[in-house]
Amino acid sequence: MNTNRLHPLSAVTTALQRGFVGGSMLFFLVSISSGFVAAVDISWAFVLSALGFLVGAAYGVAYYYRFEYELTDDTFDIASGVLSRRDREIPLGRVQNVDIRQGVVSRILGIAVVTIETAGGGASEATLDFVDDGEADRLQREIRRLTMSSDRAARRRREERRTAGERSSDESAGDRLGEASTDGEHPDIDGASARHSSEMAADTDATGAGTATESAGSPGRPKQLFELEMRELLLYSFASFRPAAVAALGFLTLFGTDFIVDYLLAVTDSVTQQAPSDVAGSSRGVLLGTISVLHAVVVTYALSIAYTFASYYGFRLGRAGNDLVYERGLLQRYSGSIPLGKVQSVTITDNPIQRLLGYAGLVVETAGYGPDSDSGSQSAVPFAKRPRAHGFAERLTSVEPPTFNRPTRVARRRYLVRYSLVATVVVGALYGLALVTPFDAWYIGLVTYLAVPPAAHLRWANLGYAVGDEHLIVREGFWSRKTTVIPYYRIQTISTRRSIFQRRLELASVVVDTASSRTFAWSNPTIYDVDLPIARDVTDTGRDRLQASLARDDASLSSDFL
Amino acid sequence: METLHPRIRLVWIARAVLGAAVLGFVLLAVDSWLRSLPMAGLLAVVSIAVVLGVVHAIVLYGRWAFDLEADSLYLERGVITFVETAVPYVRVQHVDTQFGPIERALGLSSVVVYTAGSRNADVRIPGLTPDRARELQDTLRELAVESEAADAV
Repeated sequence: MNTNRLHPLSAVTTALQRGFVGGSMLFFLVSISSGFVAAVDISWAFVLSALGFLVGAAYGVAYYYRFEYELTDDTFDIASGVLSRRDREIPLGRVQNVDIRQGVVSRILGIAVVTIETAGGGASEATLDFVDDGEADRLQREIRRLTMSSDRAARRRREERRTAGERSSDESAGDRLGEASTDGEHPDIDGASARHSSEMAADTDATGAGTATESAGSPGRPKQLFELEMRELLLYSFASFRPAAVAALGFLTLFGTDFIVDYLLAVTDSVTQQAPSDVAGSSRGVLLGTISVLHAVVVTYALSIAYTFASYYGFRLGRAGNDLVYERGLLQRYSGSIPLGKVQSVTITDNPIQRLLGYAGLVVETAGYGPDSDSGSQSAVPFAKRPRAHGFAERLTSVEPPTFNRPTRVARRRYLVRYSLVATVVVGALYGLALVTPFDAWYIGLVTYLAVPPAAHLRWANLGYAVGDEHLIVREGFWSRKTTVIPYYRIQTISTRRSIFQRRLELASVVVDTASSRTFAWSNPTIYDVDLPIARDVTDTGRDRLQASLARDDASLSSDFL
Repeated sequence: METLHPRIRLVWIARAVLGAAVLGFVLLAVDSWLRSLPMAGLLAVVSIAVVLGVVHAIVLYGRWAFDLEADSLYLERGVITFVETAVPYVRVQHVDTQFGPIERALGLSSVVVYTAGSRNADVRIPGLTPDRARELQDTLRELAVESEAADAV
């Protein structure tokens, strides 16, 4: 195999980019220093910035020529850097996911950005910015194929080592191994023959590419598992909310402040003119406030709809070999592959509207970073009828349909107290506002107390946990409810937490940490407010079953998925 | 269960005093530039901060314990929220020994255990003598290698 370069267009964009950076840097440097040093004239800025542009562009071109990547049988190597060189080798066994991103312009030009994620580091381990889209597909496919064969080889080595070392005739381990390699095309095959066929596949892999591998894994042609239809996409867009829309609204207001203020004032005026004339000055302010909030809500919702629609347009999920592959996006196109063996946990998400409609979504988490570069969580099924989403989760993790345990009723009392405190803060803030501004209707804040009992009950009612044989299932949240399935063998650490108040009530929370790159929006799965003995029991069970499954070598999620 | 070296209390108290001093300086800055504050109140706030810090340090010392169990490193600590954590040896990615300036001055060091878990996942055991820290680091490393997982992340 020989080394590869990025797409030639990449040289052009890098050169332009670096050129602008170089040019503007010198421009500012000269303009600033001309103010301090008499010998420096401002007219140099233009000459020097042109020079800076040339140097930057040259650097960009050099960067292109000095950037080489190569896909070997067991690593992905990148050599880069103009002045200081960096050679990076990424073992394919460590690759979490491979993502392809294409914007509108890159789609026209037929180019794409490929990112390769591993569990380490704070960012993508390899970014190919950019290659042509055929090459992107080839990389994704090849990495998938090679990972699969290296996985099998490693698995076989482990198996050999263990049987040689322990002489244990652990039937169940063998069966599990067989199951793990069973392909979707023979879902009903029995354990023994599955094991046999997987060994055969491993053998052919070891000796070279064989036809058996092709038929067993078929990494090239993904088998479609799920497609988001237009009707469902629209429903999904309307029935979900993206917090990013709030940021977008802030962005809009920042740029169009004058226009927006004028518009809102005009609307307020037109309303006051129609209303009876006794509308005084202070209530005009209230009216303006109400109208602004209404507009903000409507615009945010509209932005959220548009964002969801554009990101999940044409969503498709398929399976290729041992990987899930997906693609989505209207303007910016994303496609990626998630090795089933790297999935850390599976989460079913829903909000009240989706629950009302009987829909839910499914998110899988890996330890890498997703294409939206915020976390490793990736929608596997953004929106489907609830039984279907649950079915996916069940097949993906072979989890048994859980019966949830609730936290104690004492917990509900805690939430009642907690939310009452929140309501008190709200009333207090309004009262403070009434003291310093003409606004004097602080008592409307008392309404929040009415929301306290239902809020406390809903929080409590949506909490739940189930301790299964193979998985721990944790449910939490009302507005955005998450039901997370954590296989015991994915547990990294497990903690029991007791705050001062919980200790008084003999309650505890169990925090289960897995190797996923969660953000603040997705906290660690936590079983809240269970009785202390139960919390200890769950912790011990988790620890024991982790060790037990390690002894059995459950290295991956059940791959007899479809 | 193993407890920390008693001198760790001094480290925590020193940190609390430093924090209180910073708070005092901030309040002094507010006093001289923004609006005048009563000097007595300022002193009271700083001394309350120091007292709280000292109490926190003493209670925390009483609570902190760790143990090398059969399959996991087990720790318990915390004053306001009491946390018991089990870190299975299989999940240990690497182990560091570290010490900050205060710890170094008092002849102590910490062992930091990293897992592949998400944020706040690394576990720190403070208040060990440098020898004990090194010994613990070696033990943990051996235990981690012994129990090596079939499948890392």
